[in-house]
Amino acid sequence: MSQFQSDFVDQTVARLGRRPETVIPILQAIQTHYRYLPREALERVCELTEITPAAIAGVSTFYTQFRHRPVGRHLISVCHGTACHVKGAELIQDAFEHHLRIPKGDDTDRDGEFTVQKVACLGCCTLAPVIQIDAVTYGHLTYSMVPEVLDDFRHQHWDGNGAARGRAKGKRNPLAVEIRVGLGSCCVAQGSGKVHQTIERTLEEIGGDATVKRVGCVGMCHQTPLVELVIPGRDSTSLYAKVDAERARAIVLDHVKPRGIARRLGYTMNRWLDRLVADEEDTLARHAIDVRDAPVCAFLGRQKRLATEFCGQFDPTDLGEYRRHDGFKALERAITAMTPEQLVEEVKTAGLRGRGGAGFPTGMKWEKVRQARDEKKYIICNGDEGDPGAFMDRMLLESFPYRVIEGMAIAARAVGAEEGYFYIRAEYPLAVERIQEALEQCRQQGLLGDGVCGSGFRLQLAVKEGAGAFICGEETALLASLQGERGMPRLRPPYPAESGLWGQPTLINNVETYALVPWIVRHGGEAFAALGTEKSKGTKVFALAGKIRRGGLIEVPMGVTIRQIVEEIGGGAPAGHRFKAVQVGGPSGGCIPARLSDTPVDYEALVGVGAIMGSGGMVVLDDSDCMVDIARYFLRFTQDQSCGKCTFCRVGTRRMLDILDRICTGQGKSQDLEELEELARSVSAASLCGLGKTAPNPVLSTLRYFHDEYQAHLKGRCPAGRCKDLIAYRINEKCIGCTLCAQNCPTDAIPLTPYKRHTIEAAKCTRCDTCRLVCPAGAVVVE
Amino acid sequence: MPKLTIDQREVEVPPGATVLDAARQLGIDIPTLCFLEGYQASTSCLVCMVKIRNGAGGRLAPSCGTPAADGMVVESETEELFQIRRTALELLLSDHVGDCLAPCHFACPAHMDVPNMLRQISAEDLAAAIVTIKRDIALPAVLGRICPKPCEKGCRRSAADGAVAVCQLKRFAADADLASDEPYLPPYAPPTGIRVAIVGAGPTGLSAAYYLAQKGHACVVFDDQPQPGGRLRHEASEAELPREVLDAEIASLVRVGFEVRCGTRVGSTFPFAQLLKEFDAVLVACGAMVRDQAHGWGLPVGPRGLHVNKETFETGVRGVFAAGNAIRGKALAVRSVADGKEVAAAIDQFLSGQTINGPAKPFSSRIGRVYAEEMPQFLTCSSSLPREEPPSGEQPGYQLPQAIQQADRCLHCDCRALESCKLRRYAALYGADPARYPGQRHPFRQIVARSHVIYEPGKCINCGLCIQIAAAAGEPLGLSFVGRGFDVRVGVPFDRTMDEALSKVAAEVVAACPTAALEVRGKGEVGMRTAE
Repeated sequence: MSQFQSDFVDQTVARLGRRPETVIPILQAIQTHYRYLPREALERVCELTEITPAAIAGVSTFYTQFRHRPVGRHLISVCHGTACHVKGAELIQDAFEHHLRIPKGDDTDRDGEFTVQKVACLGCCTLAPVIQIDAVTYGHLTYSMVPEVLDDFRHQHWDGNGAARGRAKGKRNPLAVEIRVGLGSCCVAQGSGKVHQTIERTLEEIGGDATVKRVGCVGMCHQTPLVELVIPGRDSTSLYAKVDAERARAIVLDHVKPRGIARRLGYTMNRWLDRLVADEEDTLARHAIDVRDAPVCAFLGRQKRLATEFCGQFDPTDLGEYRRHDGFKALERAITAMTPEQLVEEVKTAGLRGRGGAGFPTGMKWEKVRQARDEKKYIICNGDEGDPGAFMDRMLLESFPYRVIEGMAIAARAVGAEEGYFYIRAEYPLAVERIQEALEQCRQQGLLGDGVCGSGFRLQLAVKEGAGAFICGEETALLASLQGERGMPRLRPPYPAESGLWGQPTLINNVETYALVPWIVRHGGEAFAALGTEKSKGTKVFALAGKIRRGGLIEVPMGVTIRQIVEEIGGGAPAGHRFKAVQVGGPSGGCIPARLSDTPVDYEALVGVGAIMGSGGMVVLDDSDCMVDIARYFLRFTQDQSCGKCTFCRVGTRRMLDILDRICTGQGKSQDLEELEELARSVSAASLCGLGKTAPNPVLSTLRYFHDEYQAHLKGRCPAGRCKDLIAYRINEKCIGCTLCAQNCPTDAIPLTPYKRHTIEAAKCTRCDTCRLVCPAGAVVVE
Repeated sequence: MPKLTIDQREVEVPPGATVLDAARQLGIDIPTLCFLEGYQASTSCLVCMVKIRNGAGGRLAPSCGTPAADGMVVESETEELFQIRRTALELLLSDHVGDCLAPCHFACPAHMDVPNMLRQISAEDLAAAIVTIKRDIALPAVLGRICPKPCEKGCRRSAADGAVAVCQLKRFAADADLASDEPYLPPYAPPTGIRVAIVGAGPTGLSAAYYLAQKGHACVVFDDQPQPGGRLRHEASEAELPREVLDAEIASLVRVGFEVRCGTRVGSTFPFAQLLKEFDAVLVACGAMVRDQAHGWGLPVGPRGLHVNKETFETGVRGVFAAGNAIRGKALAVRSVADGKEVAAAIDQFLSGQTINGPAKPFSSRIGRVYAEEMPQFLTCSSSLPREEPPSGEQPGYQLPQAIQQADRCLHCDCRALESCKLRRYAALYGADPARYPGQRHPFRQIVARSHVIYEPGKCINCGLCIQIAAAAGEPLGLSFVGRGFDVRVGVPFDRTMDEALSKVAAEVVAACPTAALEVRGKGEVGMRTAE
């Protein structure tokens, strides 16, 4: 202990303060510095601050972000979000552990190079399965790609997301081509950072006159990385999908002329483009897509953008651009032309309901906080989007930080709060960075601070980062976390509107809820209420992922049916597969079978079929997905994320999982289904908070619609061929003896027998599916 | 003052009161585990669930943390709530890594409280030990010599370095008692005037007489042999069971006040019909010999002996009971001794006009199968000495120092809070089945390192009272929840000891713990050896 240098801890405490609520930021700083939490550092924190040993022990073991053991030099985070799960995240995790020869029960290889950890959801669902090594994301992985990924990582000099953070500065030339590069997390994960870098470098090289602009998420995640060209004088833009660095260079070289001949650019560009789009021979053209193309049309057609207005068109942190697009007009109006009461009325007229999941009427919440007579009130933006399979809030925070800030400022004005926080989950570093940058811009421009928009209205906003706990999306747990405690929910009432942060009345709304507010104030509540159904007004943003052709972020008017979303917008299940169900609402939601897909997107209608609106994750499942496995997946998630406070959630969900584990491994008994359902109903009725109350939903809805699959499992059969213990791999007579399977088998379960039919040794087989994927003859079958 | 209705009864409570306060004001008993007056309701155990009827369909809410509101309509005693409370208890029990009663308790046919006896021997309190023994076993000196020791087969330590020498230690205590100037005489009730005839002075008959006599009933034990003892006298060799031990132990039993009429053969010298006339109840305990007589006595016969109701020992003829080998044919002597105790209880219930409900089955949580890795943890609170058999020869049996050493080997598998545990009390009350939700459980651990407070995380129900009490008392180190979800447990920061964590309020915390998660080391427990 004597060798421990406390300088860093001392400086951190000096910077962050000594109050008990600074515990999470202090722990985060210590972990960033040491890569784990050395005990000596924690003891030093207790010496220096008001943080007690009990608080530090409690908090540092509650949040999954914190590690108490040293980790490898690089951290591999394997995403276990829903989309990744259905696309084989377990296998990917196995592959890394197997390839790195990580001893069982450990998480780090012997050389201490890599630590493999499971993460709940990286929010890059359209790239599933996804992993992250440090800050580098790899998507669309398969078991056999793992060695390549590791090699790639070892041989690249990665500078994190640095490239993605470079900014195009300088004066805009109105005649210059504008090259827009999508820099949402998904795009970055798919390499748009590199694309951006290449474009910049190429332009520099040729001295090209073009504006490179980073834009937020375009929503078409299935096409990332996207590069869009806006050519002066043309009505439509050109969109290039799935661009890599090489193609990015080609795009620049083809479209941008060296400086000095900029005058001829408009004309030239037109000519070039005509050729590009028309010429099938051209390599570039294959990747150019046009909004007039049928699939793109279908993807965009049903959508209605309010929260995501001007999606993909402007630089997320460029305040000027936001203001040119009506930004902060709503706030000005809210301050100068409307009373707080009128604002509340407007939101009530709009019929806006909370977009975080439960759908509580926003206007009523505002009114309650407004009416509280306390001097001090707080406003909080709940950005702890944790549902696996949901990434709407991340996208809104990353791409429309000003819109969320504006909505929040309007809400603050309406309820009379002068201080507030963004609570953003730790897994969203880019969102944190963008909001921080946007807040700073707003302060400089007088949009936040002591006199908002020159009025007497004051508002201070700051960002607090979560530390890896799904439960902190629950409002009372979020408050506990903000106060530097373990994120444990408490019994309501009292509701936060009466007694919230530090016991003061507090308004907590979700990111998307705030993002809709400026539109409502600009266009009026009635215009908003004109969209949607009787009880569900306006639009809803969904993260569409899973077994679907066109995944992405979509915003649709309420009332659109599941079928329209899955089939028209998403293009249906991939070729050769049948759309079976859609999981809506994540771990709190349910699976809606394909036959009920005419159910509209509407709070009550979704509850009626056993799902919930939730925060908006929509994972499409096809005939290769096992519904029992899906139920187990979600239960494992909630079980893992349960805070552990109340009996029904802590133990009840565990016992449900035990039953599901037995069913999935062929040890189920006939009375298990009844016991499972009964327990599910008890957990649902008696759990203390929303997490426990809704955790049984995925189980109950699959029991309701896919009872036959449960029955099949009891008989030892998994109809979808997913449950490892119930399936076997076999090579049939179609085998051509090419040896590919044997060469690729990670466990040497297939002896090499050239020109002869191969066989699989069942005992060695880990059912990793590699052989089936590599077989050119389709000879590997699952039974 | 808010006025509310609970189970259709109106109650007015002071502002700030909870639904639980209101219920208690009405005298309604709502079970609570995690709640303690004076501390913040943690609303975690959820066994205090009530239903708030206001609003569509109503909602379940923990009464301890729900503020009583004006106009509230509350239900507390419905089938639905009974079920939900029982489910909460069963879920807690499904992860309760602890035995209420030790495995040896269940292995012993007489269900003797073995660990308690061992602790009493450890504490050199032999007078207490014989009381413990004789509560369940009337003939311990005899059984201490001839019993095939099923308790030792059940002993958890048998899976490690050999079972605790329970039988020899019982014999040690019993021998010491017999050798004393005044052997133990149990308290007995004043005479009831009720007469019980017992046919057969074997282990069953003598035991039954011993326990019935304590109830104040006048017992006459008939036997056709010249001396009492039945099969004990002719099955065991003199070397195994010296007759002077048998005689001495029987003599000690008889002191409680019952008559033994030897040389009296029921059936011939004393007609069975006359027994029925002269006595208020008859116990047939004449072993296998009964087969020849049963028909003449009008008693039903089964494959092994007399046919009886297994729970109540009733033969079907009113007032006639049968037990021991008379119903079993061939059973261990300890089984017969146990039968004697159980049938005595049945007969006593019959005689006092109660329903005969058979031997009481105390509620017990059971760990079940133990994993090899857990064994060191079980060994934590016991002596590490190996099992040693007593010397034979001149002075057979243990002498005190060796007996203490051997008794110190007990793992104390039984619960330190058997009587005070609220979880056990309510589980019994609600008929909770501890095996309802089988599944993965946490490993057994008991943390005793350098501490007089023993912490068993497996028994913790996460009520957090210890954390609250320590924080309120300003403990410099204190306690906190560690981890999350299913694995969350109470822990001491920075891996320090419980004594350090609870420097001021250890006694208060132990008293507040609703289970035995935090307990002080019991009298007679040893071992400061750490298993950490």
